[in-house]
Amino acid sequence: MDLSKVIRSETIKLDMEATTKEEVVEELTDLLFQVNAISSRENFLKDVFYRESIGTTGIGNGIAIPHGKSKFVNKTSLAIGRTKADIDWKSLDDQPVRFIILFAVTEEDKNSTHIKILAKVASNLGDDDVCAKLLKAKSPEEILDIFSGR
Amino acid sequence: MKIVGIAACTSGIAHTYIAKEKLMKAAKELGHEIHIETQGTIGTEDELTDLDIKNADIVIVAADINVGGKERFAGKKILNIPTNIAIKSPKSIIKKIQADLGL
Repeated sequence: MDLSKVIRSETIKLDMEATTKEEVVEELTDLLFQVNAISSRENFLKDVFYRESIGTTGIGNGIAIPHGKSKFVNKTSLAIGRTKADIDWKSLDDQPVRFIILFAVTEEDKNSTHIKILAKVASNLGDDDVCAKLLKAKSPEEILDIFSGR
Repeated sequence: MKIVGIAACTSGIAHTYIAKEKLMKAAKELGHEIHIETQGTIGTEDELTDLDIKNADIVIVAADINVGGKERFAGKKILNIPTNIAIKSPKSIIKKIQADLGL
């Protein structure tokens, strides 16, 4: 899987200062904005929080996957963060979250390679071992390696 | 036992694929055969075959939206659950089905 199409090391942050779900999403959105993956910070945030209002994106194992399919996304991308603090995310297993993957998806992207890569990333998160490794990863490179199955 | 199913979530990006992976892993660990079709933004993948469905003891529809092709399951036992339940407790779901069906 060629993750480099949807993620660059600039959008991975392993020492996030955020202490709430809102701060996490904002901090990760800033990373996407800095690399031009989204066109409007405020409007993209609205779309992500709308998705959050439909149902939890805390999938258990300390991981959350907020996502926005939004017209304010320039290029389908991922931002990945790990927090220093436990974050309350109303997760499926009632446990706090430390590892967050923000999916930013363009509205036009339907049958693209990008979405297929996102689907593979999501599949990986169905594996408890992968989740445990992500929580312990020491560098952005290590995270990319975990998703690439190396 | 033989399980077939469909996974589909609201945005068709993430939960669909996590739910599929969780169900597949749980079923295999418990020694069952399983085939799950995904209906996501990229369309249908790993489509169920007529033979898969014919031989299945149970159909699990893990979905937050209406899925396509439900008519394929006419006469089958179907369990409808949201994707969240499939992600949260895949093993208990499969164990419960097994107990209910006496297989």
